[in-house]
Amino acid sequence: MTTAAVTRTTVQPVTFRRLVTSEHVKMRSLRSTWWALAVAVAFFPLFSAMRTSSMVAVAADASPEYLVGPVYVTSGLALAQLVLCGLAVVTITAEYRTGQVRSTLTAAPTRLPALGAKLLVVVVTALATGLVGVLVGWAAAAPTLGAARMTVDLTQAEHLRLMFGVPLYLAAITAFAFGVGAILRSSAAGIASVLGLVFVVEPAFSYVPWAPLQQIATYLPTAAGSRLISSDTMGSVIAGSQSTTLSAWQGYGVLLAWAAAALLVAAVLLRRRDA
Amino acid sequence: MIEAHRLTKRYGPRTVVDGMTFTVQPGRVTGFLGPNGAGKSTTMRMTVGLDRPHGGTVTVNGAPYARHRAPLAEVGVLLDAKAVHPGRSARAHLRALAATHGISNARVDEVIDLAGLTSVAHQRAGRFSLGMGQRLGIAAALLGDPATLILDEPVNGLDPEGVLWVRTLLRSLAAEGRTVFLSSHLMSEMALTADHLVVVGRGRVVADAPVADIVARAGTSAVRVRTPETARLADALTRDPALRVVSTAADTLEVSGADAPTIAAAAAGAGVVLHELAPVQASLEDAYLQLTGGEVEYRAAAPDATAHARPTSGAHR
Repeated sequence: MTTAAVTRTTVQPVTFRRLVTSEHVKMRSLRSTWWALAVAVAFFPLFSAMRTSSMVAVAADASPEYLVGPVYVTSGLALAQLVLCGLAVVTITAEYRTGQVRSTLTAAPTRLPALGAKLLVVVVTALATGLVGVLVGWAAAAPTLGAARMTVDLTQAEHLRLMFGVPLYLAAITAFAFGVGAILRSSAAGIASVLGLVFVVEPAFSYVPWAPLQQIATYLPTAAGSRLISSDTMGSVIAGSQSTTLSAWQGYGVLLAWAAAALLVAAVLLRRRDA
Repeated sequence: MIEAHRLTKRYGPRTVVDGMTFTVQPGRVTGFLGPNGAGKSTTMRMTVGLDRPHGGTVTVNGAPYARHRAPLAEVGVLLDAKAVHPGRSARAHLRALAATHGISNARVDEVIDLAGLTSVAHQRAGRFSLGMGQRLGIAAALLGDPATLILDEPVNGLDPEGVLWVRTLLRSLAAEGRTVFLSSHLMSEMALTADHLVVVGRGRVVADAPVADIVARAGTSAVRVRTPETARLADALTRDPALRVVSTAADTLEVSGADAPTIAAAAAGAGVVLHELAPVQASLEDAYLQLTGGEVEYRAAAPDATAHARPTSGAHR
């Protein structure tokens, strides 16, 4: 072990595809990733079973517009999104905290492709986790749905949107959280900012009884984005505000715009700042 | 080959690297020597595109680092032990790095073996000692079989066996025609490993020459003479005005300006008995302190203002 490699090594140019492979290896090889994903998925069956069975006793008296199956089946989303946002933030901030970013950027000195590859891995992970979560949540609620006088009927446009809007919503909100993390480069600041926005700033805007503020509130990330997963009669499990004029897909578009803005700032800063 | 031209970097009002110009040639080990805060680590970070210079340019193998399509094949870099996520195993860390350049898992295992990490490759890097972390960093640097190696304090934290391993490895890599550029504050280590030195202080290059030249330039290599008759010998020697004689102890003189045979002949001519006659070679450490004495950024508050501050270990941010 005193000399360099005996064989010649095959080294290929850096491509986006190879960077995605690398980021995938990085994501998979951390134990914390698997914990976070397991917890995020587990919230779905837990909440869907709990909330559906809690309706069994009162379903007979409830009016039918409040018995929208997908709303109950996907109710684990509220907590799952926090876990996935935390994971998205930490995926990028831990690079800075640990110094790993110096290894990452010496392998990909043009920088932006590395950020894009990491984003793609985070977003696809959130998408897949959301999909699995919804299906597991559905399965967990299935035995009690009938007794609670509810159905999940994917041939209905609204049911389809409520169910499969969940992975789409998670993909967008994690992209936003990832962008915030990439801007702040600190786990504590990143998580505090994202959670602060969701739990403090957004409710504060929507609960203050002043119309202009409430108007602004509907354009904040989770309020707007959760339009995609809001029942027309019941609202959403995430945002309290109902005073919105945005349609489901307009709201989702607003969330995507937030994510794009955060990522744009992150990209500009990544190019400019010393690593 | 690394070529820096008028390279400059400022952090706020502080100019850390101040117009450095130097070339690191292939086929030999070049040491990068300087006291704390002299700008060594910053220069290395700029070389691999992590820090952006405020002025000047630095190229590796003929192009700026970021222009290379497969940078890990051009440059292997060890900046400091902490460029690894502590939750990831050594093997996973290297595989992720290898994946960016389509480097095979077989090569990953090869560098793990080369660095002597085979038995701990599955362990999380956070549990590694400083020395094992350095070995992992060196394994990462070698991954792409690079033509140029840039290593910041590679022997930091290594045990004697590891130090010997790094020294042998770097010399053999240079012998293969690669460019090897390493910083160290261990001057004894530099003397054994490096062929050429770039000495810096306060962000400037203060010397760029072969190790032997720098030692020779440290000037007055003297001869130590021990004799019971110091006064008579001094008289005999100072007849030649080119000689300088300094008494360093009751029975010891240090003579500069003449070599040992000349002094022995003079002593024989005067009938003086000699107990010892030994050339005093200026060490690399002396040369280094002489070169950087005025350039030390963080000087210990010594009561004697003329005392040389002895630089301590690397300034890591």
